[in-house]
Amino acid sequence: MIIVFAGLVVVAFLLTHVLPGDPAQAAAGRNATADQVATVRASLGLNDPLIVQFARYARGLLHGDLGTSVFTHEPVMSDIGQVLPSSIELVIAAMVINIAVAVPLGVLSAYRQGRLADIAARLVVVLGAAVPVFWLALILQLVFADQLKILPLSGQLGFGYSVPHRTGIVTLDALLAGDPGAFFDAVSHLILPAVTLAAAFIAVITRTVRSSMLGVLEADYITLARATGASEWRVVIQHGLRNALLPTTTILGMQLGWMLGATVLVESTFNRTGIGAYMVTAVLQDDLYAVIGSILVIGVVFIVANFLVDLLQLWLNPRLRETGRTAAPSGAGDAGTDVPLELAR
Amino acid sequence: MTGPGATSLTARLLGRPAPLTARAGSRRRSPVIERVAVAVVLFVVLIAIIGPWLAPQDPYLVNLPDSLQPPSMAHWFGTDVNGRDILSRVLTGARTTLSATFIVLAVTTAIGILIGTAAALAGRVADEILMRVCDVGLALPPIVLALGLAAALGPSLTSAVIAMIATWWPGYARLVRTVVTETRDAEFVEGARMLGVGRARLIFRHILPNSLNIMYVQVTLDVAAVMLVISGLSFVGVGAQVPSAEWGAMIAAAANNVQNGWWALLFPGLAIALTAVAFNIAGDWLRVRTDPTLRGR
Amino acid sequence: MSLLRISDLRVSYPGPSGPVEVLHGLDLDVEAGARVALVGESGSGKSVAARAILRLDTDAALAGSIRLSGTELTGLPAKRLRAVRGSGAGLVFQDPLAALNPVRTIGWQIMQPLVIRGVRRSEARRRGIELLGRLGVRDAGHRFDDYPHEFSGGMRQRAVIAIAVIAEPKLLIADEPTTALDVRVQAQVLELLSGLADERHMAVLLITHDLGIVASFAESVVVLRHGRVVERGLTDDIYYRPAHPYTRGLLGAVPRIDADPSVRLATVPPGTAAADAGPGDDPGQPEMPGEKQNETESP
Repeated sequence: MIIVFAGLVVVAFLLTHVLPGDPAQAAAGRNATADQVATVRASLGLNDPLIVQFARYARGLLHGDLGTSVFTHEPVMSDIGQVLPSSIELVIAAMVINIAVAVPLGVLSAYRQGRLADIAARLVVVLGAAVPVFWLALILQLVFADQLKILPLSGQLGFGYSVPHRTGIVTLDALLAGDPGAFFDAVSHLILPAVTLAAAFIAVITRTVRSSMLGVLEADYITLARATGASEWRVVIQHGLRNALLPTTTILGMQLGWMLGATVLVESTFNRTGIGAYMVTAVLQDDLYAVIGSILVIGVVFIVANFLVDLLQLWLNPRLRETGRTAAPSGAGDAGTDVPLELAR
Repeated sequence: MTGPGATSLTARLLGRPAPLTARAGSRRRSPVIERVAVAVVLFVVLIAIIGPWLAPQDPYLVNLPDSLQPPSMAHWFGTDVNGRDILSRVLTGARTTLSATFIVLAVTTAIGILIGTAAALAGRVADEILMRVCDVGLALPPIVLALGLAAALGPSLTSAVIAMIATWWPGYARLVRTVVTETRDAEFVEGARMLGVGRARLIFRHILPNSLNIMYVQVTLDVAAVMLVISGLSFVGVGAQVPSAEWGAMIAAAANNVQNGWWALLFPGLAIALTAVAFNIAGDWLRVRTDPTLRGR
Repeated sequence: MSLLRISDLRVSYPGPSGPVEVLHGLDLDVEAGARVALVGESGSGKSVAARAILRLDTDAALAGSIRLSGTELTGLPAKRLRAVRGSGAGLVFQDPLAALNPVRTIGWQIMQPLVIRGVRRSEARRRGIELLGRLGVRDAGHRFDDYPHEFSGGMRQRAVIAIAVIAEPKLLIADEPTTALDVRVQAQVLELLSGLADERHMAVLLITHDLGIVASFAESVVVLRHGRVVERGLTDDIYYRPAHPYTRGLLGAVPRIDADPSVRLATVPPGTAAADAGPGDDPGQPEMPGEKQNETESP
């Protein structure tokens, strides 16, 4: 894990030296003279050899210093700290939708394999995965906000609502402030972006759950559970589901990171603050340290999410607790434990 | 993994009927959807090749008086904000979007095979180093890394392609390494080696062909994913630039005038979605056909 | 009246070109408290029969009659069928590791048949621990909360038996209960089943290919080949006076500790008339390959 992070830092730093546009120029301002730019360059330490700059940067990182945004002149760390909670809110909402839709759909699809419900579900899923997320955002806006006018177009709070900033997560802050009106308004603003973000990921999870479930349903212990007189519902959910979810949780963990990455395509369209919108702006403005900072933060979240998922696996799969090996859950079958690479994107 | 006596991929694709599934009683649905998907794939590839010649009008010609005309007999898909015929732009853009996608996939496949095979066959140390490098590449969501790289290289379709290549190859290297490692340790290779087959011949005639089967499937499945990222990069502004008819860029341009011209938004998006769906279904079908254990899933 | 009466049971599965019948008219009676063995090689249809009784294969199409305690099971609505499963008849499987849910504790699985019948958890737990102990698991109270992978093979099979009998069924269907176990453990498990059967006046339908265990356990035997019954009778009769060449072949194939090691074990070569002879055929000696015999196959 450390190695990976270190590698990330190196890559991120190297990126900066390929980024066009002179950071000193941008910092000094459009109308600065050559001398002023040179002064700024020196003060930013951009004249030192690469290694020295890197060492300085790495040391700064250890202190949580991600450099200063050339655009806002604020420390990148604090900028990101401002915008990250909003992205986390969006990702969590999308995850909730993802799980709430994909798991039942996958189970249903597996249980009714080959029949209409299965085929319909898989078709919807395939479409969800193929539609570009940035396009879906616009289409949903057009249909639900513009034409049907049942959901807000953009932003995080409607006009006239305001919520004191506590965590940065607007819905949470509304709850903490005891303002149910603002809360529901914030939630309504969250729906379209969250659904948009979740769409492609729902496809993957539905397929994974379906695949695992198919393997599980063929297992002997399922037949035996039926033989004791348990109802179909109980057999599938109480006896079977936990087994089918084992490989799914791994993928869900990875999806947390990917969702955060996908915010770059969604947040700007919905006019939401967040690390995605922040990174896009930074990229378009050649804001060096902001770009690197964003990449690093997203990378860290990704790594941490995977780690947490590994812990979750220990809880869900009793056989891992003993040996520490990653044992394949019995009955989940080859397709259940095999993570096809297309899911890994 | 399949041994040297196994039928080749093409033979399997071209017509041996599907054998009985292991589980007694599985119904076999006739592969209508899959066939349609493959047809669409071929159609799209065809368009990518001859699209620009099929376009009824100049996709780049700005014609402001005709701005944002709804679909009509003159303009089947309507016009965009600059008065350009959307149908022509979609047809032209096919080549842009798809060739970018295929270049990315071709190059990353090559790099992946190179590095993956090297990692698998060149000893522990090389393996460790190369795989660590891959880990770093895989530690980020692809779009984030590609965005950073494309930005660093200066916004253009070429940058986007290079950025994508840099982002995508670790996945393939990993995959190839795994497959080659398995094949390397397979008995038939051992047998060949004992018969005195030379190293190079061993690699090219025995190990690689078996590894490649899995790559065909993976690449087909990845077409959609890569295309989505590339068009996403264009949408954000670091990929194909104005006035390119690249589908993602078209969507970005349409975003400002959605209420007045939904057609400018709809058709490029549909083009992407349709292509992605077709490739995904085809890729899935390919996967099931080449790996009998997955049937019925 | 028999506890279990199977009449002319036919089971078909969907195949690539229409349904395929795998069991061709099985007749089987099990009296209350009796021990009957259903014997045959792999593919003979014996497991199919076992699963068909409780209608555990949704793919399978049944024709004929299965009466348990007078109730006709074929065509029984799902809700009533579920009531029969577990409390009318219980099922034990071959591979105890596969038969146990890896992510649930043994205790949870043993308690389930009672919990779904409305028994309070504390009571179900008490009865489960008691049963597990009765089946020979030491320290049952603690082991109750273990997971299947923490149990040995023999103990797992005891757990599976506990699950099958805890709801006090009148009939226990044991499908190859000892095949996956060590020989020593096999004997223990069979003794357990025997003891349970006696205590509870429970009938046992033992399904197996292993003629060695049948002798000590079952009172009567039904021999199945290719989905048809080729011989039936009391254990002693079958063993000492096998009527059908196939049965003779099966018996001859059982290794015996007092056999002359230089004499090869008998086998039933596939394709010979002995293998294919129908149930009503003239017994005689097993045919040598090349000779023909009447092959009247009874419907």
